[in-house]
Amino acid sequence: MNKSYNFAFFDEGSKREIRRATLKAIAIPGYQVPFASREMPIGRGWGTGGLQLTLSLIGKEDVLKVIDQGSDESVNAVNIKKLVSDTTGVRTTDSTREATLIQSRHRVPEVPLEQDQILILQVPLPEPLRSFEPSEHETKKLHAEREYSGAWLMLFEQIMKYKTMATDADHPVMVHDRYVMAPSPIPRFDNPKLDYSEALILLGAGREKKVYAVPPFTKVTSLAFDDYEFEIESFTNHECILCGSKDVFLDELVDQDTGATYFQCNDTSNCLDIVNQEQSLGVK
Amino acid sequence: MKLDVVHDLQTVYRKLVDATSRPGKVMDLQKEVEVLDVQTNCLSATILFALTVLDPEVTFKVITKQEEAVSRMINQLTYSKSVDVSDADFIFILEDALHEEMEDAMNQAKVGSLSNPHESAMIILEVSDVTKGKPVKLSGPGIQGETDLNMQNVSNWMEMRNEKNVEFPLGIDMYFVDHQHQLLAIPRTTQIKENGWEIKWDM
Repeated sequence: MNKSYNFAFFDEGSKREIRRATLKAIAIPGYQVPFASREMPIGRGWGTGGLQLTLSLIGKEDVLKVIDQGSDESVNAVNIKKLVSDTTGVRTTDSTREATLIQSRHRVPEVPLEQDQILILQVPLPEPLRSFEPSEHETKKLHAEREYSGAWLMLFEQIMKYKTMATDADHPVMVHDRYVMAPSPIPRFDNPKLDYSEALILLGAGREKKVYAVPPFTKVTSLAFDDYEFEIESFTNHECILCGSKDVFLDELVDQDTGATYFQCNDTSNCLDIVNQEQSLGVK
Repeated sequence: MKLDVVHDLQTVYRKLVDATSRPGKVMDLQKEVEVLDVQTNCLSATILFALTVLDPEVTFKVITKQEEAVSRMINQLTYSKSVDVSDADFIFILEDALHEEMEDAMNQAKVGSLSNPHESAMIILEVSDVTKGKPVKLSGPGIQGETDLNMQNVSNWMEMRNEKNVEFPLGIDMYFVDHQHQLLAIPRTTQIKENGWEIKWDM
């Protein structure tokens, strides 16, 4: 642990500011609370929102897991993990069950989250209405008036053009029947996991200076129409080439030599757990 | 032992997070109170709360007979300024506050605007025991189904709270602290049912 930094990198004043915003965010589910968003040693847009939430929350007893698109070992995850453990000395883990704080870029882990865990999602674009309304002043007004026809129209236009809702990630959700919220670019596959989640979910956007939250046991519905229902990505007839899982989010990969496509678990630690379990049981 | 402003206040904050995200869940601040070395005219849990969230960027108001002494102490500890109750970000209502004073404070507390509902007051209410009193049922975000709770002097603040929280997302978030160093939260989203009749809450 690097002692020349304050515990968890931040000075206490910065932590307090984020903490106040976070408490407000939990009290108003889905509402984007502005916060100061301090300068971080990684670039804005590289997970600084999530990182600032993690640093404001973390204590000596915590166990931290950081994933980037399901992987514990990709650059973004490793760098964030290193920064946090260097400035706090907390233990990091790959195991979802073991972690008390899980910071994630664009995935909700496959292993169901529990009451004593907090999921922190990194958010690049917190404003679900931004694609059709460039002004922050206007989108704030739309949220205030619960005027979400633009969000519905966006989906309607996609159906007109492509005969289906073409959001592949970041499909907007309605939280507690009040706020339309960007769930961060998690695949649609993960949207249902936000609904009545056991764990608290915090979302932080560093560049856009917003934090928002989905408290546990809160209604989260993906926007959809009666005749065009919300659908998650389908992996029928496919399974993970390594562990054989079927009911998880799979990545489609191409074998460089043969040109054939195959599927592999996106959540690497879950995949490894299953493979290890099978081996210890002598299945493979 | 001395209170560690980094680590001890971090655990207080995590308990605040847990309390806010699970309304009605009773959190225990015993460990942090034991190392708190401040002599006060208010509850130790109140001081811990103030130390965790207050600084010069926000304002507060204390409702008590000894307002001057308590305000001065909180100001010295946190450098936060005491202001009129209608401007205060945090309103501490101590046990010795008169019923009318409390009602008045809650009445004037800011609820935010529709564009900025976060610009509302948090109310910290001192009670003798957060787990004793009238049985109530809580529901809403953070609560699986319903949760049973006993709350003190519900009639004192219930009506006022409902009035303040009538138009979600506007409203006040309430925190209760007691002599046993326990803490629980009732954020604006929580619906409270008392004696079988439901308190209406419009969206």
